[in-house]
Amino acid sequence: MKKSEQLTDSMFYIMAALTKPRHGYAIMSLIEETTDGVITIGPASMYTIIKKLLTQEWIYLHDGSDSRRKTYLLTENGRKVLAEDLKLRKQMIQLAETGLKEAEE
Amino acid sequence: MRQTKYMMSDGLAFSEEKDMEKLRRLSLKGWHVCDFKFMGYILEKGESSDYIYCIDYRSLEDGEEEEYFDLFSSSGWSHVASEGDMHLFRANPGTKPIYSDLDTIAEKYISSSNTMIKFAIPLFFITVLLWVGALMSSGVLQSILFTAAVIFSVIVILIAWTSISEYSNKWKTEGKHRLASLGKMTLPLLLLIAVIIMFFVIETDYAIQILTSMIIGGIALPTIIRGIISLHHIISRKTNENKR
Repeated sequence: MKKSEQLTDSMFYIMAALTKPRHGYAIMSLIEETTDGVITIGPASMYTIIKKLLTQEWIYLHDGSDSRRKTYLLTENGRKVLAEDLKLRKQMIQLAETGLKEAEE
Repeated sequence: MRQTKYMMSDGLAFSEEKDMEKLRRLSLKGWHVCDFKFMGYILEKGESSDYIYCIDYRSLEDGEEEEYFDLFSSSGWSHVASEGDMHLFRANPGTKPIYSDLDTIAEKYISSSNTMIKFAIPLFFITVLLWVGALMSSGVLQSILFTAAVIFSVIVILIAWTSISEYSNKWKTEGKHRLASLGKMTLPLLLLIAVIIMFFVIETDYAIQILTSMIIGGIALPTIIRGIISLHHIISRKTNENKR
């Protein structure tokens, strides 16, 4: 992945959830709870993204002893990618916030 | 005794949604799909209920199935059957779809089309060799090679068409509607051009002969190809079972 390429929203959510070791279903529930059910990740999307993040080496298999519920965690590189993307998203939100505020005045 | 019946698929690359709608309607009538079977599905008689269905394509390695199917069942999708890389799931209406974003849906179509391309490349080379052989030989051998070359060309064209429609599906999900409709138009366009060229370049009698064999091949062969693909799935499933 090129540096300029942005994480998709789903990838961002999943990587944010993997700052702690979690299994796929735990990630899905956390995202759903945090967003009050507005954002849900489907199981097929979830599985596709886990596989993709593993290939990118942004996450690694933390504990595979339970084959039904394997847990994953961000790698050092994955943390960097997430932090970088967070910076960009903050700017994006700031742009909207300032814009809306100015429009009100 | 268990009462079962067979339902033929319209070809998943072309009509996945239509197939899934049909399965839902049949469930309402009490016929629930329970397995894949040669180019279609096996349905089992039970009580009428409203279920929605969906298919995912994924090649799973040993030790990956449990995690994969657990993710689906936790989200309300229970596993019905698998054939090769195809997995069929069922859920109650209102369950959130298995794909939640466009990027991963696009990848779904790529992975099913890649399987087909792998299958088509050797066939393509065989076809080229057959045409070369037919052009260089004479007599009975030539007519045999010629017939085989036409038949193989039809197979390759059909597989290519299926692959292209998978890519069209991908482009459609990515919002590239023009590219998608162009993809769906490719084959009819190419065929039209081929027919026009044939009538201008070759003698009319000969062209009619080629066309007839292509039409016959075009009707009979899709059945055979899908048979082969089904067989391929059955064999790979058997070998997987033996490994365990």
